[in-house]
Amino acid sequence: MIYLLYFILYGFFLTAVIGLVASWIDRKVTARVQYRVGPPVLQPLIDIVKLLGKETLVPRGASKAAFLGAPLFGLASVMLVSTILWMNNINTQNTFLGDLIVVLYVLTIPSISIIMGGFASSNPLASIGASREMKLVLSYELPFVLAVLVPVIHSGFSIRIGSLLTYQASNGVFAGSLSGALALIVAILCVQAKLALVPFDMPEAETEIAGGVLIEYSGTPLAVYKLMKNMLLFVLPFFLMIIFMGGLRTDGIHLLYGVLKYVGLVAIITVIRNTNPRVRIDQAVRFFWGPVTILAIIAVILAFKGL
Amino acid sequence: MTIDQLFRFDNLSIFVSIFIVFFSVITIIYSLGFMRKEKRLISYYLYLILTLLVSMAAVFANNLILFVIFWGFLGLLLYLLIGFGDKKRTQATAKKAFIIIGGTDAFMLFGIALIWVMTGTFKMDGLNIALNSKAAILAYLCLAAGAFAKAGAMPFHTWVPDTAEDAPTPVTAFLPASLDKLLGIYFLARISLYIFKMNFAMNTFLMVIGSVSIVAAVMMALVQHDLKRLLGYHAVSQVGYMVLGIGTGNPIGIAGGLFHMLNNAIYKSGLFLSGGAVEKRTGTTNLDKLGGLAKMMPITFIAFLIASLAISGVPPFNGFASKWMIYQGIIETAKNGNHLWFIWLVAAMFGSALTLASFMKLIHAVFLGQPFDEVRSAQNPIREVGPTMWIPMVTLAGLCVLFGVLVYRVPLKMFILPAIGEPVSFIGSWWAAPATILLVAGIIIGIIIYLLGKAVKPRETEIFVGGERVSDVPEMRLSGTEFYNTIQEIGILKFIYELANKKFFDIYEVGSKLTFGFNGFLRYLHNGVLPTYLAWCLLGMMVLFFILLR
Repeated sequence: MIYLLYFILYGFFLTAVIGLVASWIDRKVTARVQYRVGPPVLQPLIDIVKLLGKETLVPRGASKAAFLGAPLFGLASVMLVSTILWMNNINTQNTFLGDLIVVLYVLTIPSISIIMGGFASSNPLASIGASREMKLVLSYELPFVLAVLVPVIHSGFSIRIGSLLTYQASNGVFAGSLSGALALIVAILCVQAKLALVPFDMPEAETEIAGGVLIEYSGTPLAVYKLMKNMLLFVLPFFLMIIFMGGLRTDGIHLLYGVLKYVGLVAIITVIRNTNPRVRIDQAVRFFWGPVTILAIIAVILAFKGL
Repeated sequence: MTIDQLFRFDNLSIFVSIFIVFFSVITIIYSLGFMRKEKRLISYYLYLILTLLVSMAAVFANNLILFVIFWGFLGLLLYLLIGFGDKKRTQATAKKAFIIIGGTDAFMLFGIALIWVMTGTFKMDGLNIALNSKAAILAYLCLAAGAFAKAGAMPFHTWVPDTAEDAPTPVTAFLPASLDKLLGIYFLARISLYIFKMNFAMNTFLMVIGSVSIVAAVMMALVQHDLKRLLGYHAVSQVGYMVLGIGTGNPIGIAGGLFHMLNNAIYKSGLFLSGGAVEKRTGTTNLDKLGGLAKMMPITFIAFLIASLAISGVPPFNGFASKWMIYQGIIETAKNGNHLWFIWLVAAMFGSALTLASFMKLIHAVFLGQPFDEVRSAQNPIREVGPTMWIPMVTLAGLCVLFGVLVYRVPLKMFILPAIGEPVSFIGSWWAAPATILLVAGIIIGIIIYLLGKAVKPRETEIFVGGERVSDVPEMRLSGTEFYNTIQEIGILKFIYELANKKFFDIYEVGSKLTFGFNGFLRYLHNGVLPTYLAWCLLGMMVLFFILLR
């Protein structure tokens, strides 16, 4: 029962609040870059509440259960992975629910949910968007797995999140080593694609396929997707913080460092998104399977050498 | 000879035999619906039951000669069962499967002969051969070839996709998808864990075979256009995980490999059975001519969806649990100071993403997406299949969930760990049941959000494609088969795909080309003209004289 409390408190409320704030930071920075004023702090929340009040439309001929059910699975999986990360970060001595492999696998469920939702729309544009999302998953999964292996190698082949954190607390963060820094760069690029932000936003591509996977979504299901994406904007940088930067420590000054690390990661993601044009899907696949994977392999080899 | 010397009942063989019986029952129930109105049904069911009995005998055999007899008989039954298909190529496919499996049976006989020369016994439980002589290594490779061909691992895999496409669906679900996997991996485990003492080089060899099988077969699956053939390639790819697990050589990896064998048999036959239901109702397995079936066949869709999430390793289904154990086995090998492990791990995890990709394509092409015109024609509305067909599918999908959620309490405790006989230590943690409860809680939170909003009474609208009506523009329909064409075009992959399309990696095609080439040479020599033969005789005599009288 106590797990349910953790789940609702940390996995849902805290994650949603931080995610919405992060989404506000993202929008504000984007606005400043484009010489606009930008929205007030509550705007992301207002957007979602507004969508809850709108009518829900289902395309004719689509499977209603799959169309409306897909967002729910995505949201639930983000909450699950967030709970795993929070609890393992708070109590590093005991493991809670799952390890690194579990997190990697649960993190693919939001993508699956978006793909299923797009497919269930029975709209050709949504199908195109969803197929791009799938190819994007394929392309970043290879370097992402390699990058995540670097901390595993450094810590003496441990896949428990708690022991990665305790190792970093006593031996310095992994991002401080050469291989860890390379792996972090690779992982940030992969997170950019996981969040489907520019330059890797071709699944949605408003100017080209009119929202792609989300084209048929409206009202409450769209609100759930928006909420899921905002929560991912917290969960993914938090995951990188844990495996590369020593996580979020609550003792004294470390709390401030933790917040700075998180805001820094969000700022990097925002800056990448604002300074790049959208690439084509085949360019993205080539980019991830080519230079990024090579960089990740170099990081792994350096990690074997102990650098 | 007493019965003890011929048969033996240990935990591994009992575990495998329980599931042999289970899959036989499932297949027979399904066949009652699927094979209705077919001809020669008496011999069909006779062969099914014979397969069941012979497989049980092979699993319990304790004598290598006895084992190889039952094993060979299974190859014959497979040949006969494939023959019930009604495609044009069925005969050629049955022959191909029979030749590949029969040919490797010959290797196995040779391996058994080598064992007899080395140890002087055929009894399986007395053997414990160290792989330190050339004869021992050769014997192991010969026996492993038999196991690979039966299970469908590379390079003896090519009969599996062909069989999947051309044989009747229950046969595919029964033999290549479940029973042959159980038997092949059972035998691989038997020789690797009991008969031979594995060493580092041989374990690495198994892991190479496993990784190559995973990635290469799933890359082929990505670009297929036929539902059953695509599933056939996955039947090859999944064997890779089992071989990889057994190749790790540590208890957790081996337990993962055996567990994956069981899980694969469950979800793969579930996939084939759901595919068969689609075939039964629409009359085609061509992905370009399907689509939008989720509304008409909801039970089949749910069963297929669960099985495909399980095969892609999505938590909390069973495929994830066994893959997770195999990954731990791979990481465990790193502690011996071997740096190659990250290649196997990345191949396995990346293979899992590729599996997911090809199943997403399949779900789009068959169940979601835009329906094909003929599928939705009014005079022949497609409806759900009958209970004899959906009960097996739902049972298998239910097992996928059950074995995933109650992973420690049911499958591991009851079947896998007794079969291993060694204590298994997990280096990671995965609380399957609590995580599932939390996932369900998350979905309930989502439903509450739906209730807060106005998602309860949705309104139906036409789909929006920039003002056009999709039904007026048939070119706008996407089947899904073209999704991964961009990947096919990338760099070196294009070259490999072209070679694969020319059947360059098909050991059967290459072998038959070599054989026919050699035959062609002999045929050229024997042209039936007397002076030619006389000339050859003369030439031969001259060579003989030269050698003898030199």
